[in-house]
Amino acid sequence: MGLEQEERSDMHHRSCLLPMAFKDVNARRHIGLQQLSSLAGAGRTLLGPIKSCKFIVDESTNQSTLICSAVRLIESLDLSSAAGQILNETIQAQNKEFKTGMSTLLFLVGAWSDAVLECLQQNVPVSAIVSVMSEGLNSCCEKVRCLQMSVHDVNKELCSSRVRPHAFKSKTCQIGCDSLLNPQIFLDFQKEISAPEEIFPINSCSHQDEDCNFDKHLVSPLVGFGSIAPRVKPAGDKSMSLIAGSGVITSSCNKKKLTHSRYFSTLGKSHFSSQQRDFQGYLSGQSAEPCECYGLGHLAMALSYGNQTSMKLLQSIVAYQQERAERRGSSQFNIAEVVTCCLLGLPESYSCVSPGFVTLVSPEQATVIKYFEDKPLRILLMDGDLTEQYRHLGFSRPCNVRTILEHPGLQEDRAGDLWLRNMLGILKSFEVNLVLVKGNVCENLLEGCIANSILVIGSVARDVLCAFREVTGAQPVTYLTQLKASCLGSGAQVELWKASDGRAMDLGELVPVRVKVQGISLLTAVLTSTVASKMQLIEDQFWTFVYRLHHALNDGKVFLGGGAVELLCLSHIQMLGDEPLQPPNKNAVRDFHNPWLAASVSEYKSVVLQALARGWKQYLSVLMCNTAKAASELEACTSIEHHLQKAADCGSPSAYILKEFRRGDLFSSGSSPFTDHTEVLKVYDNVTAKTEAWRRALDLVLLVLQTDAEIITGPKRNQLLNSHGSSEFMFL
Amino acid sequence: MARLEAKKPPLFIGEPLTKDTVSQSLSLLSGIFKSCYGPAGRLKQLHNGGGGCVCTTSQSSALFSCLSVSHPVLRVLTASVQNHISRFSDCGLFTAILCCNLIEHFKSLNVASCTVIKISNHILSLCMDYLKSEACACRVAVDFSSIETLLCLVRSILKSKPACMLNKPEVDHLTALILKAFMFTVPCHVETNAVLGKCVIVPVKGRRVVDSTVLPGLLIEAPEIQLAKPITVKRTCSDMIKTALFCMSMSGDLCNSEGGVITVPQGICLEMSELNQLLNIGKQLVDAEVGLVVCQKVIHPSLKQYLQENQVMAVDRAGLSLMEPLSRMTGSNPIASIHSLSPSCYGSLKDVRIENFASKHFVHLIPNDPVVCSLILCNRNETAWDELKRACETAEHVLQLTIKEPLALLGGGCTETHLASYIRHKTCNLSTSSFKDMDCSRTQYQLVADGFCRSLESVACSLSHDGGETLTDMVYGHCWFVPSGFPSVSNWSDLVSKCGCGINGSAENLNWRLLQGQFGSPIILGCPIDPPVKVADFLALDCFAAKCSGLQVAVETANLILDLSCVIVDQN
Repeated sequence: MGLEQEERSDMHHRSCLLPMAFKDVNARRHIGLQQLSSLAGAGRTLLGPIKSCKFIVDESTNQSTLICSAVRLIESLDLSSAAGQILNETIQAQNKEFKTGMSTLLFLVGAWSDAVLECLQQNVPVSAIVSVMSEGLNSCCEKVRCLQMSVHDVNKELCSSRVRPHAFKSKTCQIGCDSLLNPQIFLDFQKEISAPEEIFPINSCSHQDEDCNFDKHLVSPLVGFGSIAPRVKPAGDKSMSLIAGSGVITSSCNKKKLTHSRYFSTLGKSHFSSQQRDFQGYLSGQSAEPCECYGLGHLAMALSYGNQTSMKLLQSIVAYQQERAERRGSSQFNIAEVVTCCLLGLPESYSCVSPGFVTLVSPEQATVIKYFEDKPLRILLMDGDLTEQYRHLGFSRPCNVRTILEHPGLQEDRAGDLWLRNMLGILKSFEVNLVLVKGNVCENLLEGCIANSILVIGSVARDVLCAFREVTGAQPVTYLTQLKASCLGSGAQVELWKASDGRAMDLGELVPVRVKVQGISLLTAVLTSTVASKMQLIEDQFWTFVYRLHHALNDGKVFLGGGAVELLCLSHIQMLGDEPLQPPNKNAVRDFHNPWLAASVSEYKSVVLQALARGWKQYLSVLMCNTAKAASELEACTSIEHHLQKAADCGSPSAYILKEFRRGDLFSSGSSPFTDHTEVLKVYDNVTAKTEAWRRALDLVLLVLQTDAEIITGPKRNQLLNSHGSSEFMFL
Repeated sequence: MARLEAKKPPLFIGEPLTKDTVSQSLSLLSGIFKSCYGPAGRLKQLHNGGGGCVCTTSQSSALFSCLSVSHPVLRVLTASVQNHISRFSDCGLFTAILCCNLIEHFKSLNVASCTVIKISNHILSLCMDYLKSEACACRVAVDFSSIETLLCLVRSILKSKPACMLNKPEVDHLTALILKAFMFTVPCHVETNAVLGKCVIVPVKGRRVVDSTVLPGLLIEAPEIQLAKPITVKRTCSDMIKTALFCMSMSGDLCNSEGGVITVPQGICLEMSELNQLLNIGKQLVDAEVGLVVCQKVIHPSLKQYLQENQVMAVDRAGLSLMEPLSRMTGSNPIASIHSLSPSCYGSLKDVRIENFASKHFVHLIPNDPVVCSLILCNRNETAWDELKRACETAEHVLQLTIKEPLALLGGGCTETHLASYIRHKTCNLSTSSFKDMDCSRTQYQLVADGFCRSLESVACSLSHDGGETLTDMVYGHCWFVPSGFPSVSNWSDLVSKCGCGINGSAENLNWRLLQGQFGSPIILGCPIDPPVKVADFLALDCFAAKCSGLQVAVETANLILDLSCVIVDQN
């Protein structure tokens, strides 16, 4: 579909060095804007929490890709037009900076391009469009500040709302948060701290409603409280919170969104509860301060609505990192300490978070591990390739050096063998067990290392090396010849990574292993899927959620989600448009980009503001259609108008929106079966990522709008000169 | 078998300006420049047509660097404008548009080109004398003891580049930053020969403009620094960091191996011997108590390791462009070979820090006397960042020119219309002897002067891009803009609010007239006078030196092109 769109946009003729003709013929139907609009149209269904995936089929190779995000869509399209290029650049920039908001950006580019084209149809001067729209967006960004909430307040609110249905307020609240912990993590902690080997890894995801019949009995609303309590009793008073926790489980089973039931059922696991006393010390640290402890878990959930697996992983990460942060006083949430490992062949429910570094190695390498057993390993970090030919960046190889053999026969080996022997010799003499290499590893050396029980892992990211450097004291080297004893680290452990139920890893050619060191800050999110084409999608989504939380904490505040912000923008624009026109020769002049534009601007203000509003109106209506809150765009628009009217009648639109948001989902249709519940799922959005997406979208549209000609340079110019289409172009 | 090919005869083009292709190309070129001009100018997408990166711009420096024109006459024009841009950075489009206008107007006159040239040179000297005189009413003195005028100057430059995509708060933020950066480069202790320092632009693309900032000293990007063990840098007894600056490669490769084959017996490793030499330098540096080694190129990992073990920080890949400011800032002489290491080479720094900015890692070198500073420049996307960088460089250059000659000209078209009014006024009262000197009649002079004035006024008109009217007043000779869609008979004072430069309001009736389309009765003008207030808050100002040069370059280039009688093309 995307490709078709692209073809269509290619059919628009391109012009170069044609400024005057451009003005006459195309000013009213600006080609660049049309291209933007058609490219952005392909991303409509990617908007909002419920996205429809797309297959992009390349007709020339018959290959296809499954995509579910604006970045991947744009990557898959052939964007040869200048407008397409800039669109790609803009989306990539947003992705690089935020990892979220790209679909919003893409959508608004399309919506605003259409709206601006309509303004041009009505003969609105370009400069008026530019200044009113950019001033309008500024004004809206200022206005929506009143819908920001500090992360702290949101945490508090989320934690307390979680326990509202129950009487044991303070304790349940705390456990509501605790229960978000992934048991896998608990177990890992435990191994780290007390290392009881009999622990059986539990897969938290097996509590999904479909495949946890056994647990269901234990954690059923009535039985749960009574049946689990005795088990935990020996843990003493502090375990009261755990009982309360199961109370929460029972209550949240009836909750509106199934999303949540998964978390709240995790702690009610029977195998698990028997181990819980081991965490006691660890838990007791937080029991004094309710609601603050794992509040980020709730925030993560409110930001990453829609995907349960990723949300669960994120909450595990948050729990682990917060616990660490409290012990060490480091930052609460650090994305540099998270890596992913994709395992194809396991059901998605096996996704989990493992402390340390999980990666895939060949079965031969995996055999080395059994020799390690549990002894602490000497670890070496290398920041280049581990091959004979590798030289550090910036080294130029001499090409005119000839080596002469003076005593032939003495050296029988080829030079390569010599290097191999030397390197193995170095590794053996320093008793290195484990080598993490940033780049590639020479195959022969790899084999030699296996024979000597040295595990060498290549293509390790820099962040991973950093984490191991920090915790093991190893100092990365570029060449093995540089190696000194002081460069080595110690205390690393390697084991085969096991699925939480101990299921054998029959993944084909590669075996997952886990490298860990006591106290390492690194976490690996192991992402699993049985469908190859979904892997990328899952990984992208995971990172999006990680970054959303990261940005929320960076911003220190979040927006009310679910369309509240956009609705306020709409009502604010309505107000701006209704304002009496300021007399042109008063100080209004100063606010506009160009002083002499003021008069022209005031004349076209309402038309252009309507165009700006159209972007958000379409955004909301498509969002409602995509999430099935409205059957048609017409229905959605009616609902939006209804809210706008009520907001206007209310006097203070922001107060109205705030009230509606607190009452429930703003745009939920009355047909929802859950509306009778007092508790509703609140969603929040990132502040900077959202406003930046708006700004970038508008900037792009205005940039293209203000462009009146393409100037083509270089060899292509001569091709065009001779081509049949040369009449479209003018040459200098 | 050798074969001789007969030389082709040179192509002879007589009266090139009368050729259709030339005038078409000239009007096309002039159309491109005009459409780009000013804060509301239209943008151009420059690209190679094959999916290469797209440069969206309206700046002359970017436009001219990619315009390849084929006709020699046009090349004369682009070459002189490019030369002007390389010397002044600013007013490139003004120069180009004025030059095109002059050629167009003069070509249509029925006056011999040598006469036209004489007269236009005379008018140019009138203009230059006026601009340089105290009586000039379209210039303002720039007072370096207050920042108001300087801010106006920088703001005008930023505002006139729409492709930077800045909104008002962003313009204000950057204006302040650019000025701050410039102030850093002015040395505190001025001796007889004061030399301005340098502001280095550090790219951080993808961030918001308001995240931009200025830091004293230099930032060198060091992506690998997070992998290195943090060290406390060795300091001298006076708490300074002794610094060694290398412009040679320290990567340990054989540097002088052009041509010729080096033969080595087996068992001798050239790499090792090179490395040993490097390590020897390292030892000398450690012995000399150097705390920081900066290398333009790459440092061998083993040398880095050795230095770090001895509490010496090693920063490599600083790049050629940083060498001059580095040397200036630290007071060290760049070391070009391993044999030229001497104690006099070393310089010193106040502090070295590791800074993280937008997921990039930098080593921040802080000098004692910050004549060198770093402007961390952010903008949301690549094409807007590039445009912003050019604008910042222009602003920096303009400030440098202004400190030499602390004057500025009114922007927004006001200088052009004012100058035109002045010439009209001045040429009315010219003595007969002047005409004799120029070998022309009064009528001829009036014709050329009128063409000159219209050319100037037409530059001012090019600021308006949405079809409105451009006016000038009879009192100050300033430029006024009226939006399109109003009948031209309306009372102008209801429609105009402020003049182009922003110095005059429309409180009184200033007797406006339309700039375009008034053929016929010449208007007798009084000498345009100084506006009542000299400095308002939001004045549009232009660089004095750049605009004066632009005026001269435009007139002289137009004269040169008019004077071309034939073009001889060597076809071989």
